[in-house]
Amino acid sequence: MKILIIEDDSALRDELALLLKNAGYETECVTDFASAVVQMKSSSADLILLDINLPEVNGETLLQDFRRQSSTPVIMLTSRTSELDEVLSMSYGADDFITKPYNPTILLLRISAVLKRSAKTGTSQTYHDAEVSTVKGSLTRGSSEQILTKNEMIIFQLLLDRIGEIVTRDELMTALWDNDEFVNDNALSVNISRLRGKLAELGYPDAIETRKKQGYVLK
Amino acid sequence: MKLTEFIRDRLTAYLIYAITWALVLVFLIAFQVPAEAIIIVSILVLLGVTAAELWAFLRKKGYYDKLTSDLSQLDKKYLLSEMLDEPEFLDGRILYSTICEADKSMCEHIAEYRRESSDFREYIELWVHEIKLPVAGLQLMCHNDGNTRYSEQLRRIDEYIENVLYYARSGSAEKDYIIKPVLLKRIFGDVAVRNRGELQERGISLSTSDLEYEVMTDGKWLSFILGQLMSNSLKYEATEITVTGEDFADRTVLNFRDNGIGIPVSDLPHIFEKSFTGENGRTHTKSTGMGLYIVKKLCDRLGHAVEASSVQGEFTEIAIIFGRNELYRFE
Repeated sequence: MKILIIEDDSALRDELALLLKNAGYETECVTDFASAVVQMKSSSADLILLDINLPEVNGETLLQDFRRQSSTPVIMLTSRTSELDEVLSMSYGADDFITKPYNPTILLLRISAVLKRSAKTGTSQTYHDAEVSTVKGSLTRGSSEQILTKNEMIIFQLLLDRIGEIVTRDELMTALWDNDEFVNDNALSVNISRLRGKLAELGYPDAIETRKKQGYVLK
Repeated sequence: MKLTEFIRDRLTAYLIYAITWALVLVFLIAFQVPAEAIIIVSILVLLGVTAAELWAFLRKKGYYDKLTSDLSQLDKKYLLSEMLDEPEFLDGRILYSTICEADKSMCEHIAEYRRESSDFREYIELWVHEIKLPVAGLQLMCHNDGNTRYSEQLRRIDEYIENVLYYARSGSAEKDYIIKPVLLKRIFGDVAVRNRGELQERGISLSTSDLEYEVMTDGKWLSFILGQLMSNSLKYEATEITVTGEDFADRTVLNFRDNGIGIPVSDLPHIFEKSFTGENGRTHTKSTGMGLYIVKKLCDRLGHAVEASSVQGEFTEIAIIFGRNELYRFE
């Protein structure tokens, strides 16, 4: 997955690129803003992060221009906290709108949500040989089915998206809170052990491994 | 302008007339003018003086009555000179030109201050957007370095920056908000996520219910308002925060309740006043007395009511009342 970053503050741009690289994305940066729209159109990026306040051009105008020719998802970034900018950006076809300073974990969650939405082709996700249905909130393997609660589903989704990698408790917590589930530390542990139980019922014992002081890994 | 007032004002002139007339009478009698002639002359002079005074009274009354009624109807009194015509009599003309000149200078003065204050506000807005870049940069650096030690302080810096921005916005005459339907749940969710670190560190439990209502407001402003309430709860030792929505036929109410130290009864009527710190501000965390003041001003501008109730040592509850003005929807 490749992400195009259009941001004029160089420190922010470099950190953003590093953040995305660490999260496993390829990145490309625009530095010549006068020709930004050309680069946007010619780029093979799967998603574009676009700053509103750019030298020479305005991000909103850029977006409007770009939308006439492409449907590549765009997330607007801005340090202006104004509802007007958000309304304008969304009406010009932005897929999300995030104000600086942003929580990096949330930024990554939003990026992955937008990418997932744009890639949606109707095929359901699978975990080994089990079928994951977010609509029904269930895991099905052969004839046995386990219903996951909303919290368990959010946790499972995040672990599944990054299968084989460490997901920290903080990231899980952020994802839950971002979905209006204001759980505390204990509740998270309870949810994880319930999820483990349900996975074991389906025949995946020890599917979620605990890494001390780091987080969890779904195998 | 009343006739009696006018007469009282002219009393000295009448006194001079009377004395003059008395002297004339003495003169006439000394010259042995017949009594009939004296009476006729007296009546003629009296009639003449009365007619002249009446004419003077009426032309002034017409002008000054219009002036006072214009003044009482005007919302901005200093615009009076725009409503006035130049009178025909001398003292009126002097007054008229004085008012016009004074007003003009006043308006220039105001315009200058307005320009200065709007320049300052523009600069604050610009500055806030600039300062947010390094804050955002630092936040990313912390995350990339795997160091979360500084993130709490960065969050605080961001909160103080927002305070300045919204203080500038709350007092300005410009309309820089957009009223549109906003889901309470979405706004509160944003605020909760932003404060998650501190809430969890202090083991504060957060519960919400019935926030699936849409209200007519500006999302960003409301988010700031709720952020302020949250930060107060954190300051005043709450361990539980409960946020609930209530829907009525004519309004939607958002109740923000915590079980913190509460507000003394004597302080309660003043908490929305500027720079009011009260007992809690002295005995607990340092308070600037600006938070709730800005909240109230923003609510006023958005057309929401805000009310507080509290029992010391038990709870504090702030209610924001969103009127359901259907007119908004068609605007």
